[in-house]
Amino acid sequence: MNKRMISLGLAAGLIALAGCNKNQDGKEAAANGTEAVKKAGDKTIAASLEANSKYATLAKAAGLDLTLQGAGPYTVFVPDDAAFDKLPAGTTDNWTKPEGRPELTRTLTYSILPGTVLAEDIAKAIENGKGKAELATMGGEVLTATKDGDKIVLTDAAGGKATVTRADDTMANGVIHHTDAVLMPNKPS
Amino acid sequence: MRIWMLATSAAALAITAPALADKGGHGGHGGGNDAQVQRGGGGDRTQARASHGGADRGQMRAQAQGGDRGQIKAERTSRDRGNRQMFAEGQNRGHGQNGERLRVRETAQGNQGNHGFRARGNDQQGVARLEDRGNRGHDTRVLNAERGNNARVFGDDHIRARGNARFAEGEKVFRVRDVDHGVARFRDVDRDNLFVRRVGWADGCPPGLAKKNNGCLPPGQAARYIGQPLGTVSRIAALESLPSAFRPLYLENDDYYYRYGGGYLYRVDRSDNLINSMVPLFGAALLGQPMQPYYANNYYRPSYYNAFYPNTAYDCYQYGYGYVYNTNCANGLIQDVIPTYDNGYGVGQILPSSYGYYNVPYAYRGSYYDSGDYSYRYAPGAIYQVDRSTSLISAVAALLTGGLTVGQPLPTGYSAYNVPYAYRTTYYDTPDTWYRYNNGYIYAVDPTTQLVTSIARAIV
Repeated sequence: MNKRMISLGLAAGLIALAGCNKNQDGKEAAANGTEAVKKAGDKTIAASLEANSKYATLAKAAGLDLTLQGAGPYTVFVPDDAAFDKLPAGTTDNWTKPEGRPELTRTLTYSILPGTVLAEDIAKAIENGKGKAELATMGGEVLTATKDGDKIVLTDAAGGKATVTRADDTMANGVIHHTDAVLMPNKPS
Repeated sequence: MRIWMLATSAAALAITAPALADKGGHGGHGGGNDAQVQRGGGGDRTQARASHGGADRGQMRAQAQGGDRGQIKAERTSRDRGNRQMFAEGQNRGHGQNGERLRVRETAQGNQGNHGFRARGNDQQGVARLEDRGNRGHDTRVLNAERGNNARVFGDDHIRARGNARFAEGEKVFRVRDVDHGVARFRDVDRDNLFVRRVGWADGCPPGLAKKNNGCLPPGQAARYIGQPLGTVSRIAALESLPSAFRPLYLENDDYYYRYGGGYLYRVDRSDNLINSMVPLFGAALLGQPMQPYYANNYYRPSYYNAFYPNTAYDCYQYGYGYVYNTNCANGLIQDVIPTYDNGYGVGQILPSSYGYYNVPYAYRGSYYDSGDYSYRYAPGAIYQVDRSTSLISAVAALLTGGLTVGQPLPTGYSAYNVPYAYRTTYYDTPDTWYRYNNGYIYAVDPTTQLVTSIARAIV
C-alpha cells in the first residue's frame, strides 16, 4: 500500500511538474516568437509578397493588398505560382475580371486565418485533436489540418490538399506559410 | 425572347366583376382559339365550361397553398379601371420544372391583391399552364396559354411568351397586344378594352434567385454580357433607369448612360449601345419592399452575422444567399440589403446607402477613421475603405470573422493557438487556460469546457 501511495504521489508530482513545464514551454515559445517579429521589423505581409507573383496579383484584384498591409494580424497560406497553374484553365483569368471577384474573394479569404497561427500551434492542435484540427478562416468556412510526417497538410472543403512547404515566414502583421496548392472553398449554394 | 408571366393579372381582374355575369353564352368565335364558356350565375367561382378543342378548361378549384399563405391575399376587387400595376415575382422553391411559383401582385387604387400562380408545365400541345391555388382552398385558377401562341414553361424557372400570347381563364380571353420591357398590354377581347399591365420579374432580384437565372443574372455568368448590345440583357430582364438612390452617383454623360435590371447596373456606351461595364446592385430595388421568406436561407450563413447584426426592437435581420436583410420589425419592409463580402462586394462596388455613418467596430476605430479622402465602413466580414469622391469601395481595410462570445463555446476552427506575437509572452496556453485571438480581442478559454470565459485583452 505504501508503494502504491508513493507511486501515486510520484505520479501526481510528475504531473504537477509536467504542468509547470508546459507553462514554461508556452512562455519560451512565446519569447521566441517575439524575437522573430522583432526581426521582421515593419515588413508587412503585403510587402513581402513577390510583386509579380500570381498571389500578389490576385490579392490586388480582390482589394486585399491593403488588408495585408494593415494591422491584422493575419495568418496567410500563400500558394506558389505553380499551384495556380494547376487550377482548371481560365480560372485565374476569370478571377481578375470584376465578375469573378466574388469567387476570388471567397477563395482568398479561405486561406487567411485570424490571428497569428504558427506551424507549431497547428501541430499542437492536431495532436490535441488526435490527428486533425479544424482552422477557422476569414471566409467563414474551416480548413482541416493534418500531419504527414513532418509536414502540415491542409484539406479544403472539396477534399483538395495543400502541403505547407515553408512555414513561419514572420511579418510585422502576421505570418505567411507557403503552400503548394490552392485551397478551394465550397461553391455557394 | 422574353420571359414574362402574363395574363394572370388580367384574369384576376376579370374574375372579380359581377357585371360579367351576363356574359354567358358568349361564343361563336371562329378559328377555334377562343374559349366558349357559359357562366353560371353568382360570379366567377362557379363551374364554367370552356370548349376549346373539347378540353374542359373551365373548371376552377382552389386550394390553399400552405407556406405561401402569408403572401396570397386574393381579394375581390371591383372592376376598377383606375391605375393598376401588376408585378409578377418569381420564386423558385426548387421544385423543379413544374414547381416554380410565380406571383402576381396587383395594386390598384386602394385595392390590393396577391395571387400566386404556379407554373404547371406544358400541356400536350406544349403550351404553358399556370395554376393558382387561392388562399381558401376552394378555387384553383388555371390559366392556359392558348394554342397557337408561344407561351411555354421551360427550364426550371420561367415562362416565356412571345408577343401576342393569349391566356384564357374560364370564359375570359385576354390577348396580349404587345410586351415591351416589362409592360404588357392586355386587350379584353369581350369588352374591347385595353389594359396596360406591368409584368416581368420583380426588380431587385433576390439574390437566391439571381443564381437561378430567371431574369436575374447570376454573378458568375454576368461576364458574358459585357461588350454585348443592351438588347441581350433586356431579353431576360426588364430594364429601367437607375433607382433614384443611385442616380447622383452614376451621372449620365455624352459617352455613357445607365440602365438597371436583373440585379445589375449597366453602363452603356452611347455610340454603339454596347454594355461597357456592370456593377452588381442586388437588392437595390428591394428597399421598401416586403421581406419574403424565400429570401432567407441559413445555408452557409456566417456564424458571425448575428454578432454583428443583432436584432433590435426596430431592426430585424435575416440572412440568405450571401446577403443580410435588414427589415423593419414592425412592418417587415426591407430597409437594407447588405451583401457579405464574398458574395458580391468588392473593390469598385458601392455600399448600400445606409452606410452613411461610421460603423467600424470599436476595436478598430483607432486604426480606421474617416478622413478627407476615405471613409471606413463595416459590413459583415470586412472593414471597407470607401473613396469619398465616388462612394465606391476602394479597398478592403481589414478582414473580420466570426465573433467569439464570452459564455459561449469556442467555435469550430479555433483549436489552434493564434495570439499575435506581441502578446504571446503574456497570453500563452496552459492546461488551465487557453487564449484565442479574434477581431481585436484576446479571449480566455477554459480548455476543459471549451467555453470562452472572458476577454483577456483588447488590442486597440
